[in-house]
Amino acid sequence: MEEDLDNILDDWFIESIKIYKDLHVYQLENPTQVLEWTSGRNVCVAGYTSSSKNEILELHLPLKLLADKNKGLCAERDFKVVHGGFADGPVRRLRHIPGTRCAVTNDGHSSSLQVWDLGGDDSDVIRRTGSVEGGRTGSVRGSRIAARPSSQPQVLHGAQSDDVRLTEITSGRTVYKLEVDSSDALSSLQFVTDSIVVAGCCKGSILVADIRSPAAPQVCCPPASSAESVLWWTDASASSSRLIRLSSCGQAVVSELRMLGGGAVCQAQLDIQMRGSDSEDVVVSWAPALDDCIAVSGFSGAVQIYNTSLWKSDLQETTPLFQHRGHMVSSQQPDGVLTTAHAWHPERPRTLLSAASDGSVHVWDWVNQSAAESGSADPPT
Amino acid sequence: MTCLKRLIFCKGAQMKVSRSFSAPSTSCRCFHAELVRHDSRGLPVVHHSDYVCDLPPNHRFPMGKFPRVFHFLLKDQVITEKQMWIPQIASRDLLSCVHTDEYLNNFINGTTNEQEQRRTGFPWSEGIVKRCRYETGGTVLAAEIALQRGLACSTAGGTHHAFPNFGSGFCLLNDLAVAAKFVMDSSSPRRKVLIVDLDVHQGDGTAFIFKEEPSVFTFSVHCGKNFPLRKQQSDLDVSVEDGLEDKEYLSTVEAHLPWLLETFRPDLVLYDAGVDPHWDDELGRLRLTDQGLYQRDLYVMKTVVGRGVPVAAVIGGGYSRDIDKLALRHSIVHRAAAQVWRESGM
Repeated sequence: MEEDLDNILDDWFIESIKIYKDLHVYQLENPTQVLEWTSGRNVCVAGYTSSSKNEILELHLPLKLLADKNKGLCAERDFKVVHGGFADGPVRRLRHIPGTRCAVTNDGHSSSLQVWDLGGDDSDVIRRTGSVEGGRTGSVRGSRIAARPSSQPQVLHGAQSDDVRLTEITSGRTVYKLEVDSSDALSSLQFVTDSIVVAGCCKGSILVADIRSPAAPQVCCPPASSAESVLWWTDASASSSRLIRLSSCGQAVVSELRMLGGGAVCQAQLDIQMRGSDSEDVVVSWAPALDDCIAVSGFSGAVQIYNTSLWKSDLQETTPLFQHRGHMVSSQQPDGVLTTAHAWHPERPRTLLSAASDGSVHVWDWVNQSAAESGSADPPT
Repeated sequence: MTCLKRLIFCKGAQMKVSRSFSAPSTSCRCFHAELVRHDSRGLPVVHHSDYVCDLPPNHRFPMGKFPRVFHFLLKDQVITEKQMWIPQIASRDLLSCVHTDEYLNNFINGTTNEQEQRRTGFPWSEGIVKRCRYETGGTVLAAEIALQRGLACSTAGGTHHAFPNFGSGFCLLNDLAVAAKFVMDSSSPRRKVLIVDLDVHQGDGTAFIFKEEPSVFTFSVHCGKNFPLRKQQSDLDVSVEDGLEDKEYLSTVEAHLPWLLETFRPDLVLYDAGVDPHWDDELGRLRLTDQGLYQRDLYVMKTVVGRGVPVAAVIGGGYSRDIDKLALRHSIVHRAAAQVWRESGM
């Protein structure tokens, strides 16, 4: 009932004043599966409807949010659309090429990539400048994309493990190919350094390769799991050299990148519901600026933060350090809304972006409860 | 009008006036005060050092604003210490005119449950009980002084989300309701009270409390999308859109206040001058400036006083992490009141 929902929202509003340092709630016309920082203050989102025209937008988040003083705790402080364009078809993946105004997208069912110019001060248009061909066509899941950290605009992409290549964007030249026999669907692709790449397979195995070397990539088997036919998602942390793998039944395993053969460092059974076959929306990621913490989204309408330093070597249940329930609370159908993406702020330890299937986009910075309770956090002003 | 000229002041006890030259309807001239200032000619300002209490570390409510408001009024020489009236703590009897016995028992004894406390935004403590009771006492005193002098302001007040049997949104007792009830019932025939609530949040508690009461008219101008989303029905609600700025906001108030005064003919106006319509307020979704708030407060008080109706103002809501900025913003109503006081030759 309308009144009940209003009451729930009112309760949550009062609660949110306590548990968030900052919280900004936005509504896009169409939901996004993409949240990509293009600077410390700008983020790209894009639609993924099956229609032929989906918007790609670069949003400028309000100065207040990212200033040290005068932080906001109010819904819909304006964000500005600074650049926008249209894509033919859905945009399921988007990567910004660091140091440039270039981005690369994939529609989630073909292997080719679209290349975009995000626009500069003189233009507010995001326009397509070209494309990058992938390997074989007809891939169900579409290509994963990783941007090389160095200043050379190169992009690593592929949908299957035997199909991964590094392409120079301007020339279209293939600079490197992953030499692997087996063909496994990929759930992630990333650079941990400028030359070390990690490919995570849906079945749980990991490939680690040095793109300067012609040697075959190191292969690491899937984690031991009691469940069959699970899907796995992966994230590698450049700063801590750790790898996290999360299965569709909630088992999370942490390994050392440099010692993948040495078994798991720790693991835990997360407090999430098992997902069915639709795995497009699950994301697991290491915090860039908060030691040992990961964020998990896509299993429900919540984003969960876990502290892996509390995990043991044997599989035990664990509870989140924090849960962002904003998308569920403000939805008309709390059980129907799913988070579609999340992204940590590159520098601010507890600031995240999250997006959900109802078109909501939230930016939030949560209060470190344990510090608050012990009184060791910032003094009240 | 009063003819009381000289009176000694005494602390602690409720002060009874020995003689009164006023009309029978105002025969009881007790003030709920710890300190009265009959010898001061300036704008009466009600303040108590116990408007504050300690909160748990990292608690977000800007408790520090209350003493800072008073500090800035003195520092900027808007008022002198001599103008400060000190309220008594609101008695249980006074509170029970609005709040249920069950709620008051739980509230005073600390037996409200966790769910109830969560909705208020405050964990229970003896300190919070005391400060809320003093705040309510302050609004009651401001109303009493206004009836005698024409105009008075508190440095707190406006806890309009409190209902008879529960607290909500940082409000544990409804000070405006208690003051209105007191003023209404302490004379015969009953006085009429107009509550003008310009806080950005709807005065839902007050609206609910006086829904069936013809002697109290509740008027609220608020942002539709701000808390509470579940709205009550005031006698007159004006719900405005996000982002409203000075000029349009003032027009909105101007469109309603004069005819309300004309048709309802109150004996007292209680004015909630919340500063959360300000663009820099962290919770409010409107875009008023300092100047806009000042013009608003000046307009309200001038219009009411100009018709010979007494007005008591409270600071209402405001939410910011910069306490000094916030306190200065809250002090706008006192500055406007001081100007009205001067210009009206009060």
